[in-house]
Amino acid sequence: MTSATPQSVAAAAFDDAIGTSTPRKEDARLLRGQGCFVDDIEFRGMLHAAFVRSPVAHARISAIETAEAEALPGVVAVVTGEDLARLTTPGTITQENATSLRMETIPVAKVRFAGDLVACVIATDRYIAEDAAELVDVEFEPLTPHLDMFSAQAATEDPVDPDLPHNLHTHETKVYGDVAGAFAQADRVVEAQFRSPRLTHVPIEPRGVVAHWDEGRRALTLYAGQQTAHVARTRLAARLGLRENQVRIVSPDVGGAFGQKIPLYREDITIAAMAMHLRRPIKWIEDRMENLTASNHARDDAVYIQAAVRADGIILGIKAALWADFGAYAYFPPSYIIDVVGWLLPGGYRVANYEYTINVALTNKCPAGTMRAPMAIVTWATEGLVEKIAAELGLDPVEVRRSNLIGLEDQPYVSAPGYTYEALTLREGLEEALSRFDVKAFRETQAQARQDGRLLGLGIATVLEPTTYGSEWYKKALGVGSGHEAARVRIDPSGSVSVSVGINPSGQGYETTLSQVVAAGLGTDIENVAVLLGDTDVAPYGMGSRGSRGAVAGNGVAYLAAVDLHDKVLRIAAHLSGEPLSALRLAGGQVTSAVDGDPLFSLAEIAWIAHMDPSRLPAGEPPGLEVHKTYDPPPMTFSNGTHICVVEVVPQTGRTTIAQYMVVEDAGTLINPMIVDGQIRGGIAMGVGHALFEEVLYDEDGNNITATFMDYLIPTMDVVPDAEIHHLHTPNPHTPRGMKGMSEGPVQGSVAAIALAVQDAIRHTGAEVNELPLSPRRVRHLLRSTEGQNDAD
Amino acid sequence: MKPAKFEYHVPSTLDQALEVLGSLAEDGDAKILAGGQSLIPLMNMRLSRPEHLIDLRNILELQRLSVDETSVVAGSMVTQREVEQSAAVAAGNPLLTSAIGNIAHFQIRERGTIGGSIAHADPSAELPLLAVLLDATIDIRGRVQGRTVQAGDFFVSFLTTLLEEDEVVTQVRFSTLAPDEGWGFREFARRRGDFALVAAAATVRLASGNYESARLAFSGVADVPTLLHEVSQLMVGEQPSRALWGEVGRRAALAIEPTSDAHASTEDRRDLMRYLTLQVLEDSTARALHPAPLSGRSRVGSDPLQLP
Amino acid sequence: MTMEISFTLNGETMTRRVEPRRLLSDFLREDCGHTGTHVGCEHGVCGACTVLIDGKAARSCLCFAVQVDNRSVTTVEGLRTEDDTLDPLQTEMHRHHALQCGFCTPGFLMSAHALLAENPCPTRAQIVEALAGNLCRCTGYTSIVDAVEAASKRSEVAQ
Repeated sequence: MTSATPQSVAAAAFDDAIGTSTPRKEDARLLRGQGCFVDDIEFRGMLHAAFVRSPVAHARISAIETAEAEALPGVVAVVTGEDLARLTTPGTITQENATSLRMETIPVAKVRFAGDLVACVIATDRYIAEDAAELVDVEFEPLTPHLDMFSAQAATEDPVDPDLPHNLHTHETKVYGDVAGAFAQADRVVEAQFRSPRLTHVPIEPRGVVAHWDEGRRALTLYAGQQTAHVARTRLAARLGLRENQVRIVSPDVGGAFGQKIPLYREDITIAAMAMHLRRPIKWIEDRMENLTASNHARDDAVYIQAAVRADGIILGIKAALWADFGAYAYFPPSYIIDVVGWLLPGGYRVANYEYTINVALTNKCPAGTMRAPMAIVTWATEGLVEKIAAELGLDPVEVRRSNLIGLEDQPYVSAPGYTYEALTLREGLEEALSRFDVKAFRETQAQARQDGRLLGLGIATVLEPTTYGSEWYKKALGVGSGHEAARVRIDPSGSVSVSVGINPSGQGYETTLSQVVAAGLGTDIENVAVLLGDTDVAPYGMGSRGSRGAVAGNGVAYLAAVDLHDKVLRIAAHLSGEPLSALRLAGGQVTSAVDGDPLFSLAEIAWIAHMDPSRLPAGEPPGLEVHKTYDPPPMTFSNGTHICVVEVVPQTGRTTIAQYMVVEDAGTLINPMIVDGQIRGGIAMGVGHALFEEVLYDEDGNNITATFMDYLIPTMDVVPDAEIHHLHTPNPHTPRGMKGMSEGPVQGSVAAIALAVQDAIRHTGAEVNELPLSPRRVRHLLRSTEGQNDAD
Repeated sequence: MKPAKFEYHVPSTLDQALEVLGSLAEDGDAKILAGGQSLIPLMNMRLSRPEHLIDLRNILELQRLSVDETSVVAGSMVTQREVEQSAAVAAGNPLLTSAIGNIAHFQIRERGTIGGSIAHADPSAELPLLAVLLDATIDIRGRVQGRTVQAGDFFVSFLTTLLEEDEVVTQVRFSTLAPDEGWGFREFARRRGDFALVAAAATVRLASGNYESARLAFSGVADVPTLLHEVSQLMVGEQPSRALWGEVGRRAALAIEPTSDAHASTEDRRDLMRYLTLQVLEDSTARALHPAPLSGRSRVGSDPLQLP
Repeated sequence: MTMEISFTLNGETMTRRVEPRRLLSDFLREDCGHTGTHVGCEHGVCGACTVLIDGKAARSCLCFAVQVDNRSVTTVEGLRTEDDTLDPLQTEMHRHHALQCGFCTPGFLMSAHALLAENPCPTRAQIVEALAGNLCRCTGYTSIVDAVEAASKRSEVAQ
């Protein structure tokens, strides 16, 4: 499928709803508290579930005693892994040239992390279910807990997965160009290392499902916040032994997802299976402690990077060793995310000679997944390396960036791993940002402040953000997979319009942006478009929301479908009026003469004829006004940005505050600039969390010690900066209307800019920032080691 | 995270409350429900599972706040917010006003109580710290009798006080500050409203340019609030100076071995003790030298206290 | 064992039987059918469950339903105007894109209402001080501060 932009029905012909900051349609219900989230759904006779979870990190299950729990009034059933094995089949994740990893619905033989599933209680309410869960008596035989990814290969005693003799699941090297030659020629080799903490997504709405089995129709409906509802449906049907057309997934209003609501979780499958088995609707809503410890973690990775450089700062080649702690089970192929770090690592820099090795370890921790900008470490590592190159060569880091960054004139540029960069303003964006921030003046301020004992620091981050991920990419990266999206647009006989796409919202404002693109593509008003999302019975089969594909894939396909309908409407109007197509225009729900602007038909009149009076249609034109369209976008599109951050570090306490923050973002054509700015701010906030506050911690026994909001700290209003945002708009030449999409780049940029600003603030001490988050504790540790005092801990 | 079952009692008088508490304390597991802001999270996590809860919310005699020339007397069920917003308290003991404004967030302070915080005795909490610094008196009543305890004796160890199973805090009395008594309160928390990793509080008085008296106390560094009497006495007779404050801070940090946990190591807490000591001594000295006019009422969203 | 409680919810008197341990958040959502109040953490940190009890902002997850016997409770549904238009705070949140997924929004609205009732013209710093106890994972907060500031400038905002 090509990725052509519609030609003849050019953008200029439309009253354009694209590019306007239309206030959101979603707000009307959400502001009134009338949203419908999973926990707002209830059915007559609905039961409630609670899970019994492992208190230990790694252990064989030798016995489970459920009698006392089952006897508690209000308890309907207590089931274990063996019961679920009779009702469901296990899931398997495969990966080319690597061991397949199986995951039972509820473990039978052993638990693999603290918080792992052991049993499920179904009762008349959640309070009773929790009472009963406490009464389930489990005997464990402890096994060695594995908590360190670096020692994965040596971990042959009680390995995490029974199909793998140790814990290092993936070890792969990719080489591009002449890496050995580049390093042989180098004037210097610069080394750096970067360690990201384990994080978790923390949507304010935790996970949950309501499962409803219709006995008469033999049909299952699962209500769940689900980013990729169709794919989840396909998997759920298979796990339950149902035909796919017996399963419906409805993703209602979703209170944030950020990647955590992509997997089909074992809890979801359990609840669905039990709803069928008990023939009662069942609700399960996880609590926050479950969400923090047992749902999905992310970004627990490390980059060890070496650059071969010339004395003038030109990068000749890069070698990198990448590590990822994948946790105890696979919801994704283990190589999937860390390999994106791999190919993206050279960033926006010209690097022809590049080699990287990925190492993915299984550990006795919560399974890992994708968290908005799963590859967030990339920009910190790339920009951190550039800063180190500059420092070691005695060059200005801005100049090192300038000499190595890809500019528009270098594009299309094919990166060493084979990605085509086009229409990216990497260097131009940097220049734009620097035209708005006087680095020289800052350095003077910084020096003056240092005299007064105050530490200011500056961080600059050039961001290359991959978006969209078309089918060709999945084929190349994973051997299989689709990046296509689908839309259905319909004009009713009365002229009202509805659109349905396979993407699933969790705050991105799709109801508004889809209204805009359909209004623009078709030629109707935004208010006239109804948007139906999240229901697999209604939406055409699509790949869902992930990887910042909402704009290009999701809104793109809706736009293309709307254009097809636009063309059909004009064909009918041409036939009815006798005018040539070129003399007609459709905008604002009216067909008018392109010559003198005279109104000819309303959209409603055409629609009525198409549905109710089709004999008046042109020969060969089928009745009705509905289009189903699929679209496979380019294998990859990119947005880019430059982030500039000023911090102040208080040396005595280690506290970092952000004094100033600026972004220049180029995301091509923006559908709704207000929504894009919202994504930028939200992404920056997440980066603040990653850089300064958030880390999931396990103790030496594998207990999660950041299990509440008292200990896992996400940014609050007082620590997130008011960022200054500027836009460049360089359309992508291959996508509908030149859209690029974005949402993860701001996370990448802020992690990097903040981390590098702190590094800059303490550079004079010789301390190196290699680990995040830069909590006061970590910063004090760095400074103390240069203050000549012992850390007495 | 739903709490375990309990029986609920909501007496209308203190005597009724003590009667119920007294009879239940013998066999059952009974706890007082004051504001619930500390207790209910523990109950939701099932870390606390009292079989009986005795809710004091309807007992009017525990809800009185009175301020006179010498004392701020808060009934144990007076909310933190009421004290925070009281103009009379701000005039009589602005240290109280300032410190209470650091407790969590205003929504918590609308329900959290003076007595509840004192009885809960969290090592990093502001009210126990102030009680120890100001040598508050704590009135306690049991079914049979009452007693008064000095704050310095009241806090025994981690979340543990002198309160017996059948006793209730009824009132906390803080002295007012003398007109020439300077005060300082600073806490270090990761984000606004978080538990303090370390908090420091001080009062000083000067005469003829030298310190006449000084009190310095910390929370978050040990199981109970810690008044460093000997260290603060270093200041008596001396002139204010940064060097003196620095020395006091250094000695304070070495006088104890502060707690170490996931948020801050022993050395981190020592760093904070030094830093916060400098700040509270500077603040309190400035206030002693230049007494402020009567301060106004603290409102929701009053000027944010600068996090150090 | 259940107790009977009687209270007003958004101005309407309600009488219900409730188990003592039932959290106010669950009670409002399930027993009273007011699902606008959301549950995010059940330990009093995220603020998504914020309601007004006797006009004062409170975390409904840190309150048992029995504690509102003879009290008044206001939830986000109680912000409803006579003609069902958005009130000034809601309007400004809409104009400033101060919500994305909307899950934290009712909690912010109730906290912001409490703020403006006591401090009708807060500075930005005061807004941040008051609302720092409400968590949002989507917006990055700036738009929320902008919205509350804008609402405070509209004279219709009155208790």
